[in-house]
This record gives sequence, structure tokens and C-alpha cells, in this order.
Amino acid sequence: MPFLAFLVLFLIVPAISVFSQALRGANGEFGFASMGEAFSGQNLDAFWFSITFSAGAAAVGTILGTLLAYVAASITRPRWLRNAVTAFSGVAANMGGLPLAFAFLSLLGRQGLGTKLLNGVGIDLYAGDFGLGEVTGLITVYSYFNIPLMVLVILPAIDGLKPAWREACSSLGGNSSTYWRRVGLPVLAPSILGGFILLFANSFSAYATAAQLTDNSKIVPLRIGFFLGGDVSVGEDAVGYALAAWMIVIMAVAMILYWALRRRAERWQS
Amino acid sequence: MAIVRGRVFGRVVAPLILLVAAAFFILPLFAMMRFALQNVQVIDLRWSNLFDKWSLAPLWSAFSDDQFGRALTLSLKLAFGTGLISLLLLVPTIVWVHLRLPRARSTVEFLTILPYVIPAIGMVAGIMVIKPHARWFLNSDLSLIPFYVVLALPFTFRSIDSGLKALDLRTLVEASRSLGYGWMRTIVHVIVPNLRTAILSCLFLTVAVVLGEYTIADVLLKRTFPAFMGEYRGSDPKGGYGLAILSLVVTTLIFMIIGLVSRPKSARRRRARGTT
Amino acid sequence: MTSLEFSSIRKCFGPTVALADFDLTIAPGEFISLLGPSGCGKTTALRIAAGFERADAGTVSLGGHELSPIPAHKRNMGMVFQSYSLFPNLDVRKNVAFGLKTRRLESSVIARRVDEMLEIVQLSGLGDRFPHQLSGGQQQRVALARALAVRPEVLLLDEPLSALDARVRSTLRDEIKRIQRDTGVTTLFVTHDQDEALAMSDRVGVMSEGRLEQVGSPHEVYQSPASPFVARFVGSINEIPSEQGTILVRPEALTIHENVLHGKWIGTVVASTFQGPSTLIDVRLDALDLLVRVHAPTGTYDGVAGSRVSISMVGDHLLAV
Repeated sequence: MPFLAFLVLFLIVPAISVFSQALRGANGEFGFASMGEAFSGQNLDAFWFSITFSAGAAAVGTILGTLLAYVAASITRPRWLRNAVTAFSGVAANMGGLPLAFAFLSLLGRQGLGTKLLNGVGIDLYAGDFGLGEVTGLITVYSYFNIPLMVLVILPAIDGLKPAWREACSSLGGNSSTYWRRVGLPVLAPSILGGFILLFANSFSAYATAAQLTDNSKIVPLRIGFFLGGDVSVGEDAVGYALAAWMIVIMAVAMILYWALRRRAERWQS
Repeated sequence: MAIVRGRVFGRVVAPLILLVAAAFFILPLFAMMRFALQNVQVIDLRWSNLFDKWSLAPLWSAFSDDQFGRALTLSLKLAFGTGLISLLLLVPTIVWVHLRLPRARSTVEFLTILPYVIPAIGMVAGIMVIKPHARWFLNSDLSLIPFYVVLALPFTFRSIDSGLKALDLRTLVEASRSLGYGWMRTIVHVIVPNLRTAILSCLFLTVAVVLGEYTIADVLLKRTFPAFMGEYRGSDPKGGYGLAILSLVVTTLIFMIIGLVSRPKSARRRRARGTT
Repeated sequence: MTSLEFSSIRKCFGPTVALADFDLTIAPGEFISLLGPSGCGKTTALRIAAGFERADAGTVSLGGHELSPIPAHKRNMGMVFQSYSLFPNLDVRKNVAFGLKTRRLESSVIARRVDEMLEIVQLSGLGDRFPHQLSGGQQQRVALARALAVRPEVLLLDEPLSALDARVRSTLRDEIKRIQRDTGVTTLFVTHDQDEALAMSDRVGVMSEGRLEQVGSPHEVYQSPASPFVARFVGSINEIPSEQGTILVRPEALTIHENVLHGKWIGTVVASTFQGPSTLIDVRLDALDLLVRVHAPTGTYDGVAGSRVSISMVGDHLLAV
């Protein structure tokens, strides 16, 4: 089918070429040297950092996103409000790196509007470890697209919670916490986990936003950018490709998990 | 304001959460807008001069930059092309999957998640490898389209898929074909009109993706609108930020319009459930 | 066994009046159906009893104790919903055990009660299945078992058979009646299907637009309707103008004669519908230009279209309007 052909040509081929480059040594030979190097020493630190960082950002996004989605799902009045939330989520989830970085810089950057306001009330935002380029700041900025993404993913699942379940639980003597503990959260669990994985993948691979706010080479996409960028010696770009290859592997694992969870969730939905 | 099923918790906590969320999402945009349109440095900003020196001048000068028109046109062309090709690829494929291979559906959905596996930076790396070999192709500005189609795949697939799920596809197709329509005519005259909302949202999703995509365009040295914005920010930050705000506002409005257009259907369904 | 009493209940949803002056007392162990078309308020009354809706005025009492201050989860009533009420993440045994686990009973007690319940609804072998692996009828049996497992004081059923197909419906109908008789639990059953209501109930409450039109035994409601609405809703009716106004007559209260001499009204057969044990014959009366439906046991008359016949009434009419 033409669809498959299209996909192969424009997605698989670049991917494979990344791998082919990664598997070449510095002198153009075939070998796993680059892959090994990409996964050790400083590079390994970078992967570790990126993974934990992305997991953290994903966790924040998951919890806040699920909460927001639940509130949005239960809105009965005014009726346009829920649509507004979904519409904005669609935009915010796709928020490109540049405008997002700009926006947060103008609000919470050192010269930011919000920073100044908080100063006026006596709170010095930059007193401690905070900085938009630091972990806390990055997580805040990433939440801007992570939370809406989570909302979009979990809203259908929350809609799928039948009111009859809640009422049946009530008639059998269970209160709110009983319901959530024994029915609600278990049913939502696959979708929540799936959302977490999606957010993880999203945070891990975010490039443009991070690039604007920091030059932290421990963030893998940025690291790849450094290695493949302009002034790097010829042999070193193989490591860059290897890094990209490993990143693809990690993403692939995450996506397979996501897919498995989605299938499970669908089984209960219908 | 917003009421959550009449529970006391819902009356206080829910609106509060919404308010905090609204603040989180709107304030950065507002700050960016202020920076763009108000000619006062943050350092000098006081309550007294809060409303001074607002002007749309930075926007006008951005508009009048000679690259502006070209970049915008290119991005719109790309958006249109991406949307069109996405639809042409997706609609027949998904219809086919729904009808003939229902079990393959989850596999196909998995395929559409692949763009997440191979994120922008990965694609860039891949493209850099191919660059020397496919120069003739990559020279055209429109070569971005296929990549954008792939990039938008997770979202576009979702919207067409859920649009088709809501129809009783099999019955429609069988009815249409029993009345004499061939496959092509069935798709064009029967299925597509019923997918109006899904198609619209698909198109607008591609617009959102194209207007937000920077990485690949940058690597391939194409002067799309986002690339232009990035460059313009270097020379005139106010204008650059102003443009960014503008494109965000426009995209949000578009999405809200889609939401409004598709609302009557869900409201009708809600009313039908009713009480006995 | 406890009684359930509704007293002067009133409930509005915005401008719509869902229930007005609703009074009903259900005796201990009684099976009462609320019968009526969509929107008549029957489900609202049920939900007020369950605690999912709050009445604007009036009280509901369980065995003399007022229920209004008691929240839904403390009312100890079993409820069976129309569909999709089983918890999808729990298997059949855990579903049935749900209410028992909430009451913190010992696991051996729970296990025994679950077995007992599954036996009663005849699903003993299916304990390990999940809801999505069960048919509609099986799901409703589990729902029934789950509701009864906690030995509730009152059993509330909200159109439990409406989503099932005809054959399953009639089997389940008999089973519910049998189980109710065996356990003796006070039962409130809501339905829009008159066959169900007539077949299962000790008493039937016919409702229309928020009001109880009549409460009585199935026989009473069918043969002595209190109002034209009840007459029309329960069973079919012929409306024939006469000196006393329009009289309402049931098809089986009319006899058809193969000549034009014996009957009171003369007409021509228009159509006949064969139903197995009987045939329904539609006759267009000459004088009144009215279509009348007559019920004829199979074998008495075949109803050939076009034949000239006459009709007479057996006994008295139901009502005159």
C-alpha cells in the first residue's frame, strides 16, 4: 500500500541510515565501536541524566495532567469550558520549542515579568537553584506541553468511566475513596501509564525548547546536536550517530510498552 | 462558575484547579505579548506606566520585512500540501483497515506512533546522512512535505480514525456499493462528507505542526515561517516574539472553531441519553 | 424484609417536573413495578430511593426510618442497572464479593456467600470470567448476584431487561421472579414494558408525567383501569364512540361474527395478523369509519380480507370518556 511505502521511505530510511552511520568506525569500517563509545563514560552519564530527567518531567506532567483532565471531564456548566480546555490542549501539546522558550523567558527569565512581580512581593525566584536552564526550570517549561498532552490522552479514558460503576459501588456500600481505589484508578491505570510513557518519550526527545534555554550537554538530543553540528572533527560524528541510534532504541522500547498498554486499555473501554 | 457534579469538593477545588491551570498556561503567553508590544523594559516597569507605550509597531515592522511574506507563503503552502497528502494517504488506508483488517488496526496505530520513536532530532541525523545522496530532491522547498506528513502522523491518524469509528462504516459502504457506486465514488461522495469534522481537524492539526516545526526546516536550510521567526528574533526580539504570539493565537482560535463545529453532535448525544 | 415508603415526593429538573405528589408504600417482601413511558418519572423515583437524586420535597422511609439524611452508600439497598454496571477490572467472583469486602467480612464467609449467590443465579462455573467475556444475560445475572450478596433490605431494579434480546429477556424475567420469591426481598422494579410488569409484579404502579395514575394488582390495572391513560398504556384498546361518550374496549372483549346480523357493529375485514394462539383482526366499521381490532382465538375465525362481518361486545366496556 502506498501508505506503507511512504512511511518506509521517509521514516524508516532516515532511521536506518542513522544506524548505518553509527555502526561504522572512525575510518569508515563496520563495527560496534561507536555504539559502545556512545554508551560509556560521559555519554552514559548523559543518557542516565536524560532518562531520569525525562521520567521526572513525565511524572509531573502525568499527575497534573490527570488531575486537570478529571476536572475538565466533570465540568457540567458552563458547557463551552470543556471544549476550550480540549482545544487549547491540542495547541499547547504541539507547542514548538521557540515560542515556548520565548514565552517562559519573558515570564520567568531573569528579566521576566513574573520574576519582577514576585520580587515586588518579596519572593526572589533566583535565590535558590532555580533557573530556566536548570532542571526545575526545564521541568516547568516542559510541563507546558506535557500536561496538555496527558489531558488529551486520558480524557477519553475518563469519559469511558461509566457512571453506573460509581453508582453500583455506592449501592454496595463504597464511598468515594473505595470507588477510586478499587475501580476507578485500576481501570484508568493502563491509560495513565501509557500517558506517562508518551510524556517520557516526548520529554526525552525534545530538542528545540531545550536548545533555547540551556546548553546542558547532558541532555541527549542537545548532545547529538553538538556532535553533529558544525565544527566537529570527521571521526567524531560517528558517535553522534551512535547516540542518535541509542536514543531511537530507547524510544522504541518505550513505544512498544505504550502500545501494549493502549491495547489493554481499549479492551476495557468497549 | 464551573460545577462538578454537585459535590462540595467540586465547588471549591475544581474551579481553583482550573484557575491555577489557566494562569499557568496563559501568563507566559501574556508576558511574551507584553514584551513584544510594550516598549518598556521590565526593569523600568511600574504600576504607573503599565499601560504606556503599547503599540503594534514591532508587528508592523515584522510584517514589512521582505522575508516575511515569502516565509509565510512557504509555510502555508507546506501546510496545505502536508494536509492534502496526509488525507490522501490516510483516508483510503484507514477505511481499508477498518473494513478488511480490523485486527491490523492496532498495528497500524503502532506505526503511526513511530514518529515519536524517531523524533525530530533523529530524523535530522538521518537526513544529514542522506543529504549528499538525494540533493536533487532535498533542494526543493517542498521536500519538507513528506517529512511533515510523517511528523503529523500521530495526530492526523487519530482524528481520521476516530472520525471513521463514529460512523457505521460497513453499512455505509455496502449500501453505497449496492446502489452502484464504485470504490472511488464511494469514498468521495459517501465517506468524505461524513468525515467533515475529522478532515477539518486533520487539516488544522497539520497547520499547527507546520507552523511549529523548526528543527528539520533549520537543518535543511528552508526558510519556513518558524525558521523566519527564529532568525527575526535575532535582529528584532520584539517583532519575533510578537509574531510567535500571533501564530499561537491564530492556531488556538482555529482549534476552538473546530471544537465549536463538532459540538452540536455531542450535545445531541447527551440530550438523547436523558431521563426516564 | 422491610417496607419502603414514598411520601409526597416532588422533584424538578430545572423547569421540568419529574415527580409530583408521588405517594407509594411498598409492603415488606412485595414486588412492585413502576410502569410508564420514557420521561414519566419512574427512574427518578427509583434513584431518589437509592440516594442518587435528592427530592425537592417529601420523604422516603425505609421501615419507618427516614432516608433523606442518609447518604447513598449507607442505605444498604441492592441495585441492578440497565447495563454496563459490572466492574470491568474484576472477575465475576470479585464483582459479587465487592459489597461484602466493603463490609469487611471474613474471607471464608465471603467465599461461601459468593458461591451461594452464583448458585442462585445459575452461574456457578463462571466465577473466574471477566465481564467482557460474558453475554448480556450473564452480566445481568452477575449484577443481580452482586446486589443480593449483601442481603439488602430493598432491591432496586432499573430496567434491567431492556438491553437484552427477547429470548434472554423472558428467561431472565422468570428467574428474577423466582429469586425474589425465594429470598423475599422487598423489590422495586422499573420498566416501560407492560408484559414484564404484568408478569412479575404483586402490584403495578402506572405512571405518566410524574404522577402515579394507578396502583393495583396486574389484574386490576388491566381490567379496571382508573384512567384512559392506564387503559391505553397497558394492553391495547379500541375507542368506539357511543351514546355514553367514547367507550374504551379491549380487543378480547369483542367477538366477531361471520355475518352481518348478530353483532352490534357492522364492517369489513381489512387485515388480519396471525400470532400463533390467536389472530388479531382489523375491521373497518361502516357507520363510524373506524378501525377496530378484534382478538379471535385461532380456529374460531380466519379473517379473510374483504369479508363482511359484525362485532359484538362481551361484558361491559372498560371506561367511558
